[in-house]
Amino acid sequence: MVHEKTEHDEEVKTVQQVVNSESGKDFLREVMKMPGGEKILGCIQCGTCAGGCPTRFAMDYSPMQIIKMINLGMKRDVLSSSTIWVCSACYTCATRCPRNVSFTTLMMSLKNRAILENMVENSVDSNFHKYFFEVVNKYGRIHEPELLVKLMDKTDLRSLQHNANLGLRLLKKGKLRMRAPKTEQNKWVNNMLEKTSEKVSQ
Amino acid sequence: MKYAFYPGCSVESTEREYVDSAKEISKVLGIELVEIPDWNCCGAVDAVYAFNPLHSVALAARNLALAEKMQMDVTTLCSACYFTLSRTNKILEEDSGTKSKVDAALESAGLKYNGGVKVRHFADVLLSDVGLEKIKENVKVPLNNLKVASYYGCFLARPPGICNFDNPEHPTRLDELVEALGASKVNYYGKTRCCGASLGITNEKIMLKLSKDVLLSAKSAGANCMITACPLCHLNLDAKQKDIESHFHIKIDLPVLHFTQLIGLAFGMESNQIGLQRNCVSPKMIIPLFASNTQHK
Repeated sequence: MVHEKTEHDEEVKTVQQVVNSESGKDFLREVMKMPGGEKILGCIQCGTCAGGCPTRFAMDYSPMQIIKMINLGMKRDVLSSSTIWVCSACYTCATRCPRNVSFTTLMMSLKNRAILENMVENSVDSNFHKYFFEVVNKYGRIHEPELLVKLMDKTDLRSLQHNANLGLRLLKKGKLRMRAPKTEQNKWVNNMLEKTSEKVSQ
Repeated sequence: MKYAFYPGCSVESTEREYVDSAKEISKVLGIELVEIPDWNCCGAVDAVYAFNPLHSVALAARNLALAEKMQMDVTTLCSACYFTLSRTNKILEEDSGTKSKVDAALESAGLKYNGGVKVRHFADVLLSDVGLEKIKENVKVPLNNLKVASYYGCFLARPPGICNFDNPEHPTRLDELVEALGASKVNYYGKTRCCGASLGITNEKIMLKLSKDVLLSAKSAGANCMITACPLCHLNLDAKQKDIESHFHIKIDLPVLHFTQLIGLAFGMESNQIGLQRNCVSPKMIIPLFASNTQHK
């Protein structure tokens, strides 16, 4: 089958010319292998992602900028950006992208890479993920009170107070289950998770 | 109608009235919810996935494997679980590398997942399998005078291809349900905007702003209550409404009901039966709007 030259191929060529350093190219290649990164070269910088993003106001770089920065090989700036942690995973950008870039999924992959490479700028962000992971491993299910207690001394006082208030409010309404969840065959979950834990950095 | 019921952690640990009301209306509509025995965390949208994607997929796959043995469609009340379980089906279909690793993990747990178990949001079970006609037949107290803002949030219909409950940009199915119950629908800006999700824990100010925008846009469009289809959305919009009010120095006072509670009200159920006393913003103020509408058939 003859491959017809398309506009997309031209774009790819242009972007590839911009990437000049070897490490930059490596990062781009790496991202293209991550879930969500497959179609990143198709980005036409139209800004639909940034325009629809509900948390853009709190990001240091917009989704569109992050994609450009990946193309330019700016690994450290991307992985230490607040953007990847401020993303609320709402999938608005991925739903609207005219080039089918699954940016939301890519955000999750970039979080993963930032954790693995120790590039998380503010540990409050990744602590939630870390403790969530630990609590799920312990019980097989999430146990909110334990998760919140683990996070407590790590977050700021104001939000600590808010969490405490929320906990009390839920308790008063009889909604908060304090007892730890029990999965009867928790050992099966543990067995299984040991198999998938090889790749996790500690 | 029998379904493999996946409650999910959030419903169990902070939103029990959602399950209670779903079970109550299920009895009326002839739906049997058979809880998946020994279910575990769904793998979480991004909390586990960002830490270890394979881990997240394996957790979800274990639930699907347990459900496969039951030979029923899976149904869940949580939009986030609906997303993660559906995402896992897609990943296992498309990514053979991940599938073989997950298969090995499942095997060590004495399980096997062949694939293809259908994952459905409970709202879809009600609207597609039960149908609006049957729901209408059971309405004893039409909710006239009630203006309901249906909140779809993120994962009922996004991303398309994984969550296919409705049109991702202009969903209407919950509005149709609202009208079938005798209430009127409210069109408002925030119906598919994000509530802030777990940012409530890591970056609370952002979540407070996002949920405020959703609530205020519904209120200014004339809603006197809102319904949700996800325990996480409900937590942010109902339990944290007080925090939003104090943070922005505003008054919102918009009762937020689980959509199952709204159905329960129209079916003439008592407040306690559907756990209305557990809602943080009291829905008492909306009851007089329709309480005298009792239909005598």
